[in-house]
Amino acid sequence: MSSPLLSVSGLTKWYRRGGKTIAAVDNVSFHIETGETLALAGPSGSGKSTIARLVLRLVEPDAGRIQFDGEDFLALGGAALRSRRARLQMVFQDPLAAFNPRATVARVLDDPLRIHGIASRLKRPRRIAALLERVGLTPDLAPRAIHEISGGQRQRVAIARAIATKPSLIVLDEAVSALDVSVRGQILHLLLDLQREERIAYLFISHDLGVVRAIAHRVAIFDAGRIAETGDARTVVDAPQSAIGQALVAATPRLNRA
Amino acid sequence: MNPLRRFLRTPEALAGAVILAALLTMALAAPLLFPGDPQAIAGPALLPPFQDWSLPLGTDRLGRDVLAELFHGARTSLAVGLAAAAAALVIGAVIGTLAGFAGGLVDEVLMRITDAFQTVPSFLLALAFVSVVGPSLGVVVVAIALGAWTGPARVARAEVLSIRERDFVAGARVIGMHPLEIAFREILPNALPPVLALSSVIVAAAILTEAALSFLGLGDPNRVTWGGMIAEGRTVLRTAPFLSIVPGLALVLTVLGVYLAGEGVVETTAVRRSLS
Amino acid sequence: MTALLSIRDLTVTYRRDGGEVAALKDISLDIAAGERLAIIGESGSGKSTLALAVAGLLPASARVDGRIDWFLRPPPPLGAKAPPSVLPDISPSRGEIAPSSRPSPISRIAGGEPAAKLPISPLEGEMSGRTEGGAKDRRPSAIATDYGPLGGRDIGFVFQDPSASLDPVMPVGKQIAEVLYTHLGLGWPQAFAKARTLLERVRLPDPDTALHAFPHQLSGGQKQRVAIAAAIAAGPKLLIADEATSALDTIVQAEIVALIRQLVSEDGMTLLFISHDIALAAELAERIAVFRHGRLVEIGAARQIISAPRHAYTRSLLDAHLGLDAEPLSRQAEASP
Repeated sequence: MSSPLLSVSGLTKWYRRGGKTIAAVDNVSFHIETGETLALAGPSGSGKSTIARLVLRLVEPDAGRIQFDGEDFLALGGAALRSRRARLQMVFQDPLAAFNPRATVARVLDDPLRIHGIASRLKRPRRIAALLERVGLTPDLAPRAIHEISGGQRQRVAIARAIATKPSLIVLDEAVSALDVSVRGQILHLLLDLQREERIAYLFISHDLGVVRAIAHRVAIFDAGRIAETGDARTVVDAPQSAIGQALVAATPRLNRA
Repeated sequence: MNPLRRFLRTPEALAGAVILAALLTMALAAPLLFPGDPQAIAGPALLPPFQDWSLPLGTDRLGRDVLAELFHGARTSLAVGLAAAAAALVIGAVIGTLAGFAGGLVDEVLMRITDAFQTVPSFLLALAFVSVVGPSLGVVVVAIALGAWTGPARVARAEVLSIRERDFVAGARVIGMHPLEIAFREILPNALPPVLALSSVIVAAAILTEAALSFLGLGDPNRVTWGGMIAEGRTVLRTAPFLSIVPGLALVLTVLGVYLAGEGVVETTAVRRSLS
Repeated sequence: MTALLSIRDLTVTYRRDGGEVAALKDISLDIAAGERLAIIGESGSGKSTLALAVAGLLPASARVDGRIDWFLRPPPPLGAKAPPSVLPDISPSRGEIAPSSRPSPISRIAGGEPAAKLPISPLEGEMSGRTEGGAKDRRPSAIATDYGPLGGRDIGFVFQDPSASLDPVMPVGKQIAEVLYTHLGLGWPQAFAKARTLLERVRLPDPDTALHAFPHQLSGGQKQRVAIAAAIAAGPKLLIADEATSALDTIVQAEIVALIRQLVSEDGMTLLFISHDIALAAELAERIAVFRHGRLVEIGAARQIISAPRHAYTRSLLDAHLGLDAEPLSRQAEASP
């Protein structure tokens, strides 16, 4: 039996606030297989976004292990870590905040290609055009400034940037929460297409159980820094066992279409 | 409305721009209007202004043309002022960015150095530096920059501290960008606007410091400077006050012009920001 | 049922980069006193502009055409110490008023009958100009402007981001007391006592401590409760909630929606609930108005909009909703070739 793509065990992160120490993430373990979507759901402050930042090593954990692609991910540092980052990408909630305010579409797609030596300087414009087409945009968008394009286009550019380095795992931190519902549907379908074709795994962080049920294979429901419940996404959302799972389901607005 | 027109709409900015334009013209035209050495003797000594129209502002104690000296002095004042301010802004922005981005020990060390420079009065620092190294244009520029970079460094650091928490910096780390590239290509350009807002004050202060150094005889001896002219005139202050008053007025106008224009720029960019 | 306000041919244009962008185009709709009306739409639909226009909070650079007529009792003379607008409205007289705070850009100040009614209005019968009060109560237009609704007193506004709408360096109790001091003319001790009652009404745990707390010491949901307390403090006729729950998580959102529903029914307030979430709007509102690109697509009873939408756009919004009963997208994709 091969080991999972990502396995996290005993992950813990403390925060000091006003003299008190609070566990933002408390002894959390989970794993993701290649090509699988694991959703992390829960109320705000439950630690699900901290998990995203820990897995990406944007913040360092106080305890625990992260095994990625058969390697001890926490042991990496410096240039080795930077080169491994190509395999592990992220899409943020607010695509406007996630890009340098001065950047153009071409520049944000050029950066990963240049940094990881994926394409030579001359070949990069072709590569950028191909990436834009892959996410359903036209190549003539390349010279535009990030702040000039629409929110949905921006999130597509963010996805194009994330897949530029051919990652095996993308962390999506509330990546569709700020989008209009019509755009949200298109982005979710794009993510599913990419997953089917490239076997990309997703760590999908969301507070919206409707979206989780629609896209995830498995879900882990968080409460106060711990996993309260985990299992098949449809099973958990349809019949949650934990108190927090039941509260989340009860609080989700329903459309009673006759 | 385009920024330039909005800039020229404010009366202060317009006045500042006119003064600076006049000054710049003076500096650029000096070698054309007054070719040759401005320190050469041109006529009788201590000729008062408006007597001889070939020497409109008269002559000094040694019979040198005051108008020619004034024009050539504008070159030195502007060159030293702008160069010193530019150097101070570059040093300050780089040190502030490194301190704010790196944090920890690097931040601690860099900020203690900044403190050390800030506790010594900048003029004393410049004075000591020029006395030790010897007066020349380059040394004067460095001496002034040495006392002026701490302000930009603090502002840049504060800006960087808030920008480095933003998502796009995390995004740059996620794609594996080198920390130095993140600091200087992603963060620094976004931290610059408030740092540049300091430039008018720094340029004005640099011009004054240069004048003060020259007044004390620590300017470049091979160049005419307004500070040097004032010092020259000081010995005959009772009999020929114009020798000190003319370069003094030039100095006041220059500092005023730089300051007004700088404020105008800050105002215009502030309006633009609040609109966007 | 009587109308609280009537919007006719409202067009709002923003100037941007030399060009003009119409945020609202020819909007006509009525809001009945005591109803819960939801405005839903995606970004750029103009729903927030409508909220700001009704509250008289549009930026000075916006150009406004058309009219908003309010049907409020004239307020008592300035400087009155008695609480005026919290008293029940027994016999509302009519004043036809344009939004008052910014007189200049309003094209016409109503002098006579309300403009032509649209068939979409459920209030048609109420609007024919024959109401209690009669002609002698009608004020000349110049004076009528002074009776315009006053933000904070007649209109309570709850914004999306409570951190931005609360003063970060003032205790929250004082912020609520200020509303009472300003609009109801209460003295400070009474104002603070009433502020405490309000914090209790919005169900903040430990209102005595909360009175002296600063906004940063409260959670997002608690801050939004404080913002609601401040919005309802002066007993407004109309409560506008502009994406008031969008920044909150699902559980806190449900609590805040329940609170708004309860307060609105207890105080007999009219609710204008602006949201992007059609399911949330359907749970809270009696009527739903669907906006798109600055136009009113359709308006109707919530049940009708959800179960029998007339417009294709409304149907597409409903189809895009991912509820707890939706078929998972991955299986849809696997099923289809």
